[in-house]
Amino acid sequence: MRPLYRFVVISISFTFLLPAGCQKTPPPPLTEVAAVKASSIPAKSDAAAWNAAPEFVAKLILQDLVEPRLMTASTPEVRVRAIRTDREIAFRLEWEDATRNDLADPGNFCDACAIQLPQKFEPTVPAPQMGEAGKTVEITYWNAGWQAKVEGRGDAITDIYPNATVDHYPFDAKSLEKGSPQQQEMAKRYAPARALGNAMAGPRDTPVQDLIADGPGTITPAAANGSKGSGQRTAKGWAVVLSRRLPEGIAAAANPQIAFAVWDGAKEEVGAKKMRTAWINFNVKDQP
Amino acid sequence: MARVYNWQIRREMSYWYPENRPQKQFAAVFDINKCIACQTCTLACKTTWTSGKGQEYMLWNNVESKPYGCYPLAWDLKLLKQLGPQQWNGGGYEGRTIFEAAPAGQRVLGWRPDDHDFSYPNVGEDDCAGKIENGTNLHFPHLTWFFYLARICNHCTYPACLASCPRGSIYKRPEDGIVLVDQGRCRGYRECTQGCPYKKVFFNPLTGTSEKCIACYPKFENKLQQQCFLNCIGKIRMAGYISQPENAIPENPIDYLVHVRKVALPLFPQFGLEPNVYYIPPIHAPDSFLRQMFGPGAAAAIETYRKAPDDPDLAGLLSLFGCSEQVMPRWKRENDTIIGAEENGAEIVRVPLREPVYIREAFDKKYNVARVNCP
Ligand code: SF4
Ligand code: SF4
Repeated sequence: MRPLYRFVVISISFTFLLPAGCQKTPPPPLTEVAAVKASSIPAKSDAAAWNAAPEFVAKLILQDLVEPRLMTASTPEVRVRAIRTDREIAFRLEWEDATRNDLADPGNFCDACAIQLPQKFEPTVPAPQMGEAGKTVEITYWNAGWQAKVEGRGDAITDIYPNATVDHYPFDAKSLEKGSPQQQEMAKRYAPARALGNAMAGPRDTPVQDLIADGPGTITPAAANGSKGSGQRTAKGWAVVLSRRLPEGIAAAANPQIAFAVWDGAKEEVGAKKMRTAWINFNVKDQP
Repeated sequence: MARVYNWQIRREMSYWYPENRPQKQFAAVFDINKCIACQTCTLACKTTWTSGKGQEYMLWNNVESKPYGCYPLAWDLKLLKQLGPQQWNGGGYEGRTIFEAAPAGQRVLGWRPDDHDFSYPNVGEDDCAGKIENGTNLHFPHLTWFFYLARICNHCTYPACLASCPRGSIYKRPEDGIVLVDQGRCRGYRECTQGCPYKKVFFNPLTGTSEKCIACYPKFENKLQQQCFLNCIGKIRMAGYISQPENAIPENPIDYLVHVRKVALPLFPQFGLEPNVYYIPPIHAPDSFLRQMFGPGAAAAIETYRKAPDDPDLAGLLSLFGCSEQVMPRWKRENDTIIGAEENGAEIVRVPLREPVYIREAFDKKYNVARVNCP
């Protein structure tokens, strides 16, 4: 049986009631993420073009629906701006995070963020927590550790522990010409996840991964990994640009929705343990 | 959580998934009394499976000196402390398993080692319990003691690694019960490294996925014993299959040692995983320590083991350890000969109950030369 619940979206306008006679009325906070139309997508998070897009402040809530749950709230909000062309859409996500966590090891986790959209725009949206069976969501995910690798962090143990020494790897044997197909094949044998083509294992040329999900625990790489992105440290945290193709049918959709998630590596947030939003109204109509 | 039956604690318990036992379950017996901590097993595994980048710190097999040795640091003490009192009543366990003690929001009770916990691969080596005081002399039982605990993944019946993974990236093979991390599916969340109480899953920082002992499945599928078994100098290990206690087959070496003679015991059965590596406890360590580590059967197991010299079946089966690379699912004794066999009875190897002893004169009269004690 399909779940009975449906996430009918209700937009709630928060208007501040100001005392009569007050001269200045601050603009009411946005109730939707609104994408501004432009001729091109800015690649960098500090591009001036972002100033043209309104900023939506998305409140983050605990992922506390499925185990393992996040029990203590961390990042309170993520500030979002969106710009689109006819084919692409880009988001700039900014949030506060005191520490740069971009090195994953047995006990350390990476900062990360993601955007989530329904695969199909229908009258009812998928469950906001990773979608549900038959109602797939598309996720664009950025990871600070991948960013560091794209920016040049190497693939050796000394890139993690500079004082480590290793005598020998079998694939570095003198009999194997360095970089030859035989040598590469041998190296792959000692990196099973890479041998199986697991995108987690690199080699990495983008800090972003396209994923789909049909409910908690089902996240899977999408058929194509066309999204792009890059993250930079700011004075207070991270600014990450994520761009992807404009979802099919979104311009004609009655009430499209979007959701965001942020992971704070310093708090050991990973996978299901994250701060996330509910569905948020998403306006991609041509802006006046 | 589902309700499942765990025979090692003689009761039902909570587990994340319903009971689903494999058709056959890989199991092993390690005789601690024979281990000399030469670490040949550790190196056999290391050179076979974990010589890659990101695997430098991984020891799917390790040997640690108890009571102080541990890899990673304090793997057992930390969890024992977290779990609190572990009360046995007869053969039944009345305390909480790590599944039943799971904190809110978690699937199992656990802790995650960080890289510093893996900095000392053989900390506590040969450190003994107690002090060597003035006037100490050789005394039985030993006043000060240590023993070697060789550890691999237990390919548990109720794996905590598998229960912890929110993505279902860890699976237990229906054909032999071997527990594997799907390297194509793992996303490196490290829930399993937190959940496994034996700390036998390792995060590979260069591939971003977790890896663990694979019970050398390419060998086991071909009826061959694992690398760390084959290379064991002390011949302490035997691999095979275990049955449920009510279906125990005395001709199956593992069943005989675990179920019939009850001389081999699981490691920390109170954690609730039904681990499938069984240990013959060391005869010289205090019962209170062994009871905590191997459950309430420790004293009786040692008593049985001590009598092995007068017990041709038990002594005979133990002498079959390490005598063939092939898995020996059956065994039998014919007078002073022990035979390891296939499931259909086909003979694999035969060994004498007692190796003959030859004494050579110190002086070789024929060649008029003194013999030396080397080959
Ligand atoms: S010992 Fe640990 S890694 Fe091995 S099956 Fe049990 S829980 Fe999993
Ligand atoms: S069974 Fe194989 S993979 Fe497991 S510890 Fe032993 S040698 Fe390593």
